[in-house]
Amino acid sequence: MTTTRRREERGSSELRSLDASSKAASDVESGASLIFVVGVLAFIGAVVTLLTAPAQVMQGENAHAVTSALHGLVAGLFMIASTISLYQAYRLYEGKIAAVGEVQIATAVTAALSALTIIFGNWIYAALRTSGPPRGYYASMSPVVQKIFFEFKEHMALFTLPLAVVAAYIAYYYGRELLDNPRLRILLGVIVALVFFYFFVAFGLGAAITKLKPPA
Amino acid sequence: MPSIEIKRGEIRFQRATGPAAAAFTSAMLGLLALTIVNLGTEISQPFRDAVFGIGKLWIPGAQGIGPYSGKETIMLVVWLGSWAGLHIVLRKKDVDLVRWGIVFLLGLGLATTFIWPPTIDLILR
Repeated sequence: MTTTRRREERGSSELRSLDASSKAASDVESGASLIFVVGVLAFIGAVVTLLTAPAQVMQGENAHAVTSALHGLVAGLFMIASTISLYQAYRLYEGKIAAVGEVQIATAVTAALSALTIIFGNWIYAALRTSGPPRGYYASMSPVVQKIFFEFKEHMALFTLPLAVVAAYIAYYYGRELLDNPRLRILLGVIVALVFFYFFVAFGLGAAITKLKPPA
Repeated sequence: MPSIEIKRGEIRFQRATGPAAAAFTSAMLGLLALTIVNLGTEISQPFRDAVFGIGKLWIPGAQGIGPYSGKETIMLVVWLGSWAGLHIVLRKKDVDLVRWGIVFLLGLGLATTFIWPPTIDLILR
């Protein structure tokens, strides 16, 4: 191999490694910008909630109202994060995703919010297990409905945690290699879609619970 | 085994697929454990009390949550424990993700079906 050819090959390999490192840097930048956007949205939501929520209702008799509100708030954020992840899962499935950093951030946030939702749900569940509305109301109406709206819902919520954590793990462990491995990429997309499915079931049943009214 | 792909001027290291299989298989096992424990608590009162006792060991406020605390605990232990074990076994192996994925989806389907209350009622009858 001539010296000139060696120099050309070295130069093109340096260009490729520069290209690879600039792609990695843009992955980190797009991940950081995603965190910033989510943070701004969360801040706006928190400010609007604090300014408009009827805080005086949260005092007094219903001591669990704050815990319930926190559970609902975190579940709402989980809805946003899992929807973003679902869209990315579709793009992963189609092989159209270029910034793996965005997938990593979204799956990590989804996993964290799943854990927080379950923790706050545990907290409020202790109150719901007592007699009285809304659980007592449902139990008095139909034990079958109570089983589905409460017990099935709480188990479906637990399904989201291991799946969300596994999705985040795969996204971080394999990183850019996901782009080169179609089966792994599609599998990750399927897992993220399953997280959304189980969240949707639990969230829908949970939202229905908040609409319950005890008899007058 | 993880492979090394050498292209002109660039070396790429591809990780084995074993760790991915270990991760999602352990999630499936944890959720199946949750389903089986849930069925057990519906069938047997002593088992229900034992599961409740497990939850009370570490979850704050478990007294108010009931056997659900024990079900969560058993799910976490089976999930994380099996993940650690499977990762050690599979970390350097390339596995067929299609087959493992099918088993994962079937396991998840079983777990979902048998945690659905009408199915539990059918079994109890």
